[in-house]
Amino acid sequence: MTRSGMTKRGATGHGIGRFASIVIVVAVLAAVPLVVHSNVTLNFLVATLLAALAGQGWNILGGYGGQYSFGHAAFFGTGAYVTAILQVRYGVNAWAGFAAGIAGGAVVGAVIGGLSFRSGLRGSYFALVTLAFAEVLRIVASVTPITGAGVGTLVKLDLHARAFQFESRAVFYWVILAMVAVSLVITHLVERSRFGVWLVAVRENEDAARALGVDVIMVKLGAMVLSAAITAAAGCFYVQYFLFIDSGIAYGTWISIEALLTPIIGGVGTVFGPLFGALVVKSLGEGAKLLAGDAPGLDLVVYGIVLVLVIGMAPRGLVGGLTAARRWCGRRWRPASIPAEEAEHG
Amino acid sequence: MTDSKMPVSRRKFLATTALGAAAAATGTVAMPSILRAQGAAVKLGVLHPVTGALSYSGQQGRLGATLAIEEINAAGGIKALGGAKLDPVLGDARSSPDGGTAEVEKMNSAGVSAIVGGYASSICLAVSQAASRYDLPYLVDVGVADSIVTRGLKNTFRFGPGFGVIAKTAIANLAAINDQAGKPAKTVMIVHEDSLFGSGVAKLLNAQLPQHGFSILETIAHPTPTRDFNNVVLKIKAQNPDIVIPANYYNEYVLLARTMQQQHVRPKGIYSVLGGAASSYKFLKEFPEAAKYIMDCNHWFDPRNPKALALKKKVEAKGQFFTYEVYLNYSCVQLVADALERGASADRAKIIAALASSTFAGHIMPYGPTKFVNGQNEGAAPANTQVLDNDIKVILPAAFANAKPVFPMPA
Repeated sequence: MTRSGMTKRGATGHGIGRFASIVIVVAVLAAVPLVVHSNVTLNFLVATLLAALAGQGWNILGGYGGQYSFGHAAFFGTGAYVTAILQVRYGVNAWAGFAAGIAGGAVVGAVIGGLSFRSGLRGSYFALVTLAFAEVLRIVASVTPITGAGVGTLVKLDLHARAFQFESRAVFYWVILAMVAVSLVITHLVERSRFGVWLVAVRENEDAARALGVDVIMVKLGAMVLSAAITAAAGCFYVQYFLFIDSGIAYGTWISIEALLTPIIGGVGTVFGPLFGALVVKSLGEGAKLLAGDAPGLDLVVYGIVLVLVIGMAPRGLVGGLTAARRWCGRRWRPASIPAEEAEHG
Repeated sequence: MTDSKMPVSRRKFLATTALGAAAAATGTVAMPSILRAQGAAVKLGVLHPVTGALSYSGQQGRLGATLAIEEINAAGGIKALGGAKLDPVLGDARSSPDGGTAEVEKMNSAGVSAIVGGYASSICLAVSQAASRYDLPYLVDVGVADSIVTRGLKNTFRFGPGFGVIAKTAIANLAAINDQAGKPAKTVMIVHEDSLFGSGVAKLLNAQLPQHGFSILETIAHPTPTRDFNNVVLKIKAQNPDIVIPANYYNEYVLLARTMQQQHVRPKGIYSVLGGAASSYKFLKEFPEAAKYIMDCNHWFDPRNPKALALKKKVEAKGQFFTYEVYLNYSCVQLVADALERGASADRAKIIAALASSTFAGHIMPYGPTKFVNGQNEGAAPANTQVLDNDIKVILPAAFANAKPVFPMPA
């Protein structure tokens, strides 16, 4: 879908079609554990959906708002730490801790967003300042006693639903899938809303948007908070799944990169981009492992090469690539007089 | 979206990231080829972080485990199971807990009877928990965090010592060495890295050293990596402590020791706890002058055990250093093989039972017979080493020592 399509046709039949496609994709994914019983596959899919969720958070701010953050680890880590610390140190119920973790991530988003947007930081300056915030949080978490400092925080093993831990990987899978589904719906609603239009306007030309009366700072801040909350939810889930968090995992660059890699590969500023991106990136990783066998690191070399090739062939991401391909087919098969835009939506 | 609007070109960014990942992975691709056994082979998971930040340690660990498997197979396999060979299922934890968990799932579906490895505490925590879902016996090779074996997981065993025991031994031995020399040292400075292990060591030392009559002049924390120790060494020079205690990883340790040597800072002793380089043959080979007389309390093999010396020769013949990852993993595999022999079964529950009641003494560590209490080998203890005569000698415990401590360092 093109930008113009998103704004012009969002509120009509196209929107309902998108909603239906969310339902279909989620339903198909939800049926997987009924067919596949291998925990290897389920664990792989959980990791994939976790990346998709973190990526969806990034996508709202980076994809729709054009604010490229290199420090989404700040939100992931805060969500994770709040959940873990509330459970371990204050005996708070895991589900309540989960909600608090998401809220905590949103607050950190508001603080970082407020400081950087009010200071007028844009583009690479914004990217660098988010990176710096994540790094500062990592260092603080590695020395503060409440986070367990360097030792990290270990959540007690208690495989009961009340502790947000499940014996079966399938249940975990459904939980993360539900979270991804919610994030897809949120993104879809954002895309169709007035707020979404403002956000895209800010991305395309901030000064022009301001001239038209858009409160640029508030729009960016709103996107930042939403984005942070979604990525924080991924952090909360990480803790419940692996039951251990330290500063390197929580605020490390790995998650910042994962969060931006999945939407960029899948297609920035699209509802399904992060999910597609996560599926492709993680499958590539696993496929490369199969190809490389037991030689240490060879899979990462193969993975890197394939990733470069994918980006080379589809620089606008997979969703963008598919759109381009569809347009190309449309041009070939339709009379030359029909404009490309018409062909796309016709 | 138009590319010109992006602060950083997507194509450029991704190409860099992917190339970075590729570059990070181009470590050694050398792997000993392993004979795949047929028939009633017993599959054994060998799980290490062979790529990523911990790749060197992970690859050393894998080397130790596979050497043990090769030897056991060459000696006729598991006799109680009709000479069944051990079939290693290699896994890469990618230096992260989630990487480790994914490998446990794969190993479980591959039908392994037990898993050995983990290396880093965070990976061991995740792996032990994932393996406990399948009652899959898991033997921790290194991971020193005490919480690994205090969670009540029935499947998890640690052959080596935990952090608490190591720190306690280190402090007691430092006091003993000082007492023996007539208490020449009274003041201490601690230089530690700021994550799990360094800050943990520093905290324990700060709490316990004063009880042994030492006064701590200053505790200096630094991040990993740190590439310049000039200021730290200037501080040490100004304070002039009797003993410097570094607690950091290999590169920083080497850099600190070399900077001290360059600035002619010679305290009465350099004594480390789980020092990154202190008891490392690599450090000794590359910087013999800086390494002289350094003492360390760390994992170490039994220097009087001929099997340990034979293994050392074998590893060195392969052009590798005989590091603690090698001999700890080697011993862990032997311990599993012994459990298979005694339990006479590759069944997971029987292996767990055999491990829990293990009295295995055929290993190459200075631990004595194995005895697990809540998954922790009670006999496990670190050894004190010192760089003497261009070699690393064991100075304590006395029962395994092959040299006497030289303290204070000769000027």
